[in-house]
Amino acid sequence: MKSRYEAAKNVFIDSIDNDDYIELNSSMSAYKQLEHSMSKPLKMILLFGKPGTGKSILLNRIHNKLKHKQEIYYFDTPAVSEKEFFHKLFKVLTKKDLPKNTEVNFSALVDFCKKLRGKREIIILLDEAQMYGPEMMEKIRLFSDSRAVKFVVSLHKTEDEDLIAKEHFQSRIWEVIELKNASKEDQGKYIHKKLLKKNLFEVANTIKDKNMKLIYTFTKGNYRECNKLLFTIFEICEYYDKNEPSKINYEHIPKKIIEMAALKLGYIHV
Amino acid sequence: MYDIKFLEDEWKKYKKKKRRPWFMLLLSIFLILLASFTFLNYKEIDILQSNNKNKMLKPVKVTHSLLVDEALTTLEKKHPKIPEVKSETVISNKTDTNEIVEDMPIDENTVRPDAPQVEESISQPHKKMHLNIIETTSVSAYKDVAKRFYQSHDTDDSLFLAKSYYRKGNYKKAEYWALQTNKVNGNIEESWLIFAKSKVKLGHRNEAIHILTTYLKKSDSAQVKSLLYKIKKGTL
Repeated sequence: MKSRYEAAKNVFIDSIDNDDYIELNSSMSAYKQLEHSMSKPLKMILLFGKPGTGKSILLNRIHNKLKHKQEIYYFDTPAVSEKEFFHKLFKVLTKKDLPKNTEVNFSALVDFCKKLRGKREIIILLDEAQMYGPEMMEKIRLFSDSRAVKFVVSLHKTEDEDLIAKEHFQSRIWEVIELKNASKEDQGKYIHKKLLKKNLFEVANTIKDKNMKLIYTFTKGNYRECNKLLFTIFEICEYYDKNEPSKINYEHIPKKIIEMAALKLGYIHV
Repeated sequence: MYDIKFLEDEWKKYKKKKRRPWFMLLLSIFLILLASFTFLNYKEIDILQSNNKNKMLKPVKVTHSLLVDEALTTLEKKHPKIPEVKSETVISNKTDTNEIVEDMPIDENTVRPDAPQVEESISQPHKKMHLNIIETTSVSAYKDVAKRFYQSHDTDDSLFLAKSYYRKGNYKKAEYWALQTNKVNGNIEESWLIFAKSKVKLGHRNEAIHILTTYLKKSDSAQVKSLLYKIKKGTL
């Protein structure tokens, strides 16, 4: 028989699927802010925040929402080389595949972009932009100067990446949106909503306020960390449910299990 | 699947580590409480002793009607040259009846073996009653005398208890009753002597010397001088 904890565990597999998007007050506000900024005649928008604050899922969500209304492209994985990036860009701008054994001429592509001004309005969502080097970012800036292509650049917020943002975007960026970790209340809602979305009402009810507080203490409201911790908690529950049912309380998640999961993930140490 | 057994062991270690500071805190609180309790106890004893000292240096004047009996003091000095006619009342342990023998000196050895616990002597010529307690062995009798002292503040009772306890070697109680006597009447030399002797026996030699030296300043008593000499010489 399948353990109910198995289903609960799978809810928290980290993904950026549109189906997994949970509408919270904070995420809704970020979404609206981004949508509003994209409607302005801005060349570049910077979306930044610590890893696990929901940047990718937000880009994915906005892509899915607007793809039928606007010419919007989502580059979820950064190109490993400049050549690959230009290939992708060529395909987006010209809507054609690059002929075999040919390379993109950067100046020609920029000129092509300039010619598109007033005719098309293309939005490119660049996730994990910290992977692009400074030279590449400068070239992206030149494309955006054409005013035919608008870039939404998503960056991790670390000291080094802030430096990239400062050096290469400061004068070009028109708007900055910062995503933050969830508050205690939002994180609680996030966990409950995620479980309820998969009809796991009983499991959702076993996570009490005290548990939520403890989970928040360990994850600090970070969505990715929260997913990891919940996945581990339910995996341990699943083990007990199948092998040692006497050790599990079906009324509420025991603190012991949460701490064991935290030990496993290195939030706490012996 | 994780190694749950290993995780459980890790969790047990973690719990132990987490509880350690609380355990240490509780232990420290207990030790602090213990130390402060001991310190306060010590301080209380110290204050009591210093109070005793102060009271000895400044004898309390009590204007209790029973205590203003100068004749008693003189009687107790027992001048050998002046023959005294005594009448004695013998209080039996078993009965409450008092037997009063008037104008007949009674030798202590002739007292009925079953009778005397507390002996009361009345000096007939002066028509004064004097409660002269000779000896008692019964614990309840001691208690009765102590109870009576608390009601009447009769220094004879307290002095009797002081002397009896000193004889029995209970110097702590002897000291206490001598102190009670001194509190009521600071001029009873015998009480001061017992008080000082008890102090010496309890190991407070310097205090005893200090008490007697202070007392000597106002009385110039030969007995006190002799005792002081003995104490200083260490022959008490």
